[in-house]
Amino acid sequence: MPESILELKNISKTFDGKKVIDHLDLTIYKNEFITLLGPSGCGKSTLLRIIGGFVQPDEGRVFCNGVDITDLPPEKRNLHTVFQKYSLFPHYDVAENIAFGLKLKKKSKEYIRDKVKYALRLVNMEGFEHRKPNLLSGGQQQRVAIARAIVNEPEILLLDEPLGALDLKLRQEMQRELMKIKREVGITFVYVTHDQGEALTMSDRIIVMNQGLIQQMGDPKSIYDEPQNAFVADFIGESNIITGIMRKDCLVEIQGQDVMCVDTGFQKDEPVDVVIRPEDLSIVPEGAGFIDGLATDVIYQGAYYDIRVLADDYEWAIQSVNPVMCGTRVGLAILPENIQIMHKPRSADEEVIRGK
Amino acid sequence: MSNTTRGFKWLSGPYLLWCVGFTVIPLLVIVQYAFTDTTGAFTLSNILAILDPIHSKAFLFSLEIALGCTVLCILLAYPLVLVFRRLHLSRGKFMLFVLILPMWMNFILRLLAWQMLLSNNGIINNLLIRLGLQPLAVANTWISIMIGVIYEYLPYMVLPIYNAITDIDEGVIQAAQDLGADSGTIFRKVIFPLSIPGLKSGITMVFVPSMTSFVIADLLGGGRLQLIGNIIEQEFNRSMDWHLGSGLSVALMVFVLISMAFTMKSENVVEEEGRQWRVN
Repeated sequence: MPESILELKNISKTFDGKKVIDHLDLTIYKNEFITLLGPSGCGKSTLLRIIGGFVQPDEGRVFCNGVDITDLPPEKRNLHTVFQKYSLFPHYDVAENIAFGLKLKKKSKEYIRDKVKYALRLVNMEGFEHRKPNLLSGGQQQRVAIARAIVNEPEILLLDEPLGALDLKLRQEMQRELMKIKREVGITFVYVTHDQGEALTMSDRIIVMNQGLIQQMGDPKSIYDEPQNAFVADFIGESNIITGIMRKDCLVEIQGQDVMCVDTGFQKDEPVDVVIRPEDLSIVPEGAGFIDGLATDVIYQGAYYDIRVLADDYEWAIQSVNPVMCGTRVGLAILPENIQIMHKPRSADEEVIRGK
Repeated sequence: MSNTTRGFKWLSGPYLLWCVGFTVIPLLVIVQYAFTDTTGAFTLSNILAILDPIHSKAFLFSLEIALGCTVLCILLAYPLVLVFRRLHLSRGKFMLFVLILPMWMNFILRLLAWQMLLSNNGIINNLLIRLGLQPLAVANTWISIMIGVIYEYLPYMVLPIYNAITDIDEGVIQAAQDLGADSGTIFRKVIFPLSIPGLKSGITMVFVPSMTSFVIADLLGGGRLQLIGNIIEQEFNRSMDWHLGSGLSVALMVFVLISMAFTMKSENVVEEEGRQWRVN
């Protein structure tokens, strides 16, 4: 059992009558890279700000190493935040920005100099010591912001969509670098993002949030392969989500066709949500799959073709390395273990299922 | 692009004409008067007249008033602006509006009002006597002149500082807090350094006019206390000695320009002081 470092107990927060976080419990472990993932307005940033001390929860307590820090102001917490807008001090140069926290702690000149040097090397910004922030690119500014937080050796680094303002290529580069930095400094990262790709790439553990509730938590693979509800399935990557009927264990009826699956424990003839990832479907000759349909759209995406097949009023999304002709009739095939069956929510409210 | 700028350049014509006619030419005329005597011969005596005891006394008094006014305006402006910043945006704007409101009234009227408030049997003293307190004897003293200049010029200090400080990104302040800075440190290390451009224009807009004003001293100093501006005004309007008036004006102008240059430099010193932060 890994050692816990931060515990959130029964946290609630309401803004303007809207419940942003609803009785949330969460334990964060030492040295993990944990990502809070969800659409905008799901409460993930508020949660991060509660951890950082910038927002006071209406209810609930925050514990760090077993000590209640709920009422501590941000400057008294041994956690540092990397903001989306970088928020570097415009009147200080790069080295002065990074030294800010250390100066406040009255560290010796030599110590600060060594630390700044180390941090600049860590984020690959050697030689930029005396640049002013306004002369740096967005990616460089974010590196400095990360260095500025890390030199203080926080127990936890909070990252609030730090790569959100960068373009795709730079973002991917920075993702790799963040992971490298994480490995080198060995501290806990709490990362907030709405980008599921980013979350899947970097995290040890992902917390999927919606409407102030934890929808699911787990390692990236389990989140992707076994989404626990339609929200998670839909939010994490593209999914085909279609209503089916569970005939018996390991047999589900999809669009009137019985299809083998591996899920058990459902009631006989229970209506269920069937989730199938586009890359798990394969195109086969008409009649050879579990269902036939008309290829309505084929888009070349580089590594694969994005294909839409219309069958019985449902448009299936398929990713295939082999193209098909638009307008031809094809069959769709699926391996039983790639079908994910989920209970249907009983009401719209239950759409948001509390995480375990 | 250069085409469009060229096309619109003539729009600045009226202002240029105004500027040449009412600033540049009069200035040249004053300089010419300053360096000549009544016969038209070159002389430095009009300029050096500033060293005359009566003149230099008025000059030093002006300097005291201007420095005092500037320092007090700075000390008043910062807390005010910090409060405005804390207030909800719309309320901060309203407070600012209240501060600026008197500026819509005529300058002389405002001073006459202060004259009535501060005079020996004025409103304030009446009130104090009725409360059984000692009346104040501030009428026609440097204190009433100081009150007058501060009242007149405080908005010119507050506005640029307010603009500079509200321009500071909230994220930058939160970052400082996140890195362990308490509110005093945030002011010293973040808010104040970033407000320096505003402070700079504030000083220019308060120091120069309070140094050269004469109406305020006329109305609130009772004509007994003379600023250098009063003396210049008297040379032009009463003694009709335009040469001496111009000479004193030029001397004052040179002093103001030098002190402004010095101000810019001393602000660099402030910035340099922030540089004890410098690493390496």
